[in-house]
Amino acid sequence: MENKNPLSPHIQIYSWNISSLISISHRIIGVINILALTLICLWIALLLLGEVNYEYIKFFLQSFLGKFLILCLTWSFSFQILSEIRHLFWDLGYGFELITSKITGLIVIFGSFVLTILIYLIGKQII
Amino acid sequence: MVNATKKWIFLKVSSVILIPLMVWFIINLVSIYEKDYVDIVSFFSTQPSKFLTSLLMVVAFFYSSLSISEIFEDYIHDEKIKNIANKVMHILFIIIPLIIIMVLFNLNI
Repeated sequence: MENKNPLSPHIQIYSWNISSLISISHRIIGVINILALTLICLWIALLLLGEVNYEYIKFFLQSFLGKFLILCLTWSFSFQILSEIRHLFWDLGYGFELITSKITGLIVIFGSFVLTILIYLIGKQII
Repeated sequence: MVNATKKWIFLKVSSVILIPLMVWFIINLVSIYEKDYVDIVSFFSTQPSKFLTSLLMVVAFFYSSLSISEIFEDYIHDEKIKNIANKVMHILFIIIPLIIIMVLFNLNI
């Protein structure tokens, strides 16, 4: 039987606010992250081909595009980590007030950039 | 227990496990991605990296499988297409972590 229910969450008709922006971004970035993890699995699997064949991948990863992709991946991971923590607080019953929700939404957006820089600096052993 | 409740609990438990694993993995990825073949193989073929990477992949694909099925529920109208999409995704999300675990346990310097 055909389902006559409308599709949710009606992103075309609701006016945008921080909560809806974070909500849809959380979903899109979640999908992007799992695609990225699939590519990382492929990268690890390609290690089985040996050192000579790995030179091509190494060349790409050391290029500007490779570095940029890793930086983007760091941001998408950071965003999902913070957004997931926000969801866990909601599950515990905290942060439902409108003002708190807006503040935590802003923390997720701006915090993801701060966390990206922090992770990159720790990863590169600069701090 | 209702199925939806079970699904929600699995989603939340996997989310709690996933957060520290994601932090650990992305820091290490940034630290190794530009390095030589030997360094990268050495990272993935020794403990605890081998175990933690395997755990990350299993939990991440399990979590994604649950959350993407919610996206299918919201956006795919046709029941037949939704069932096929769910089945294909579940099979893929079981196979990919299994393959990567086999790869990780076959990696040697």
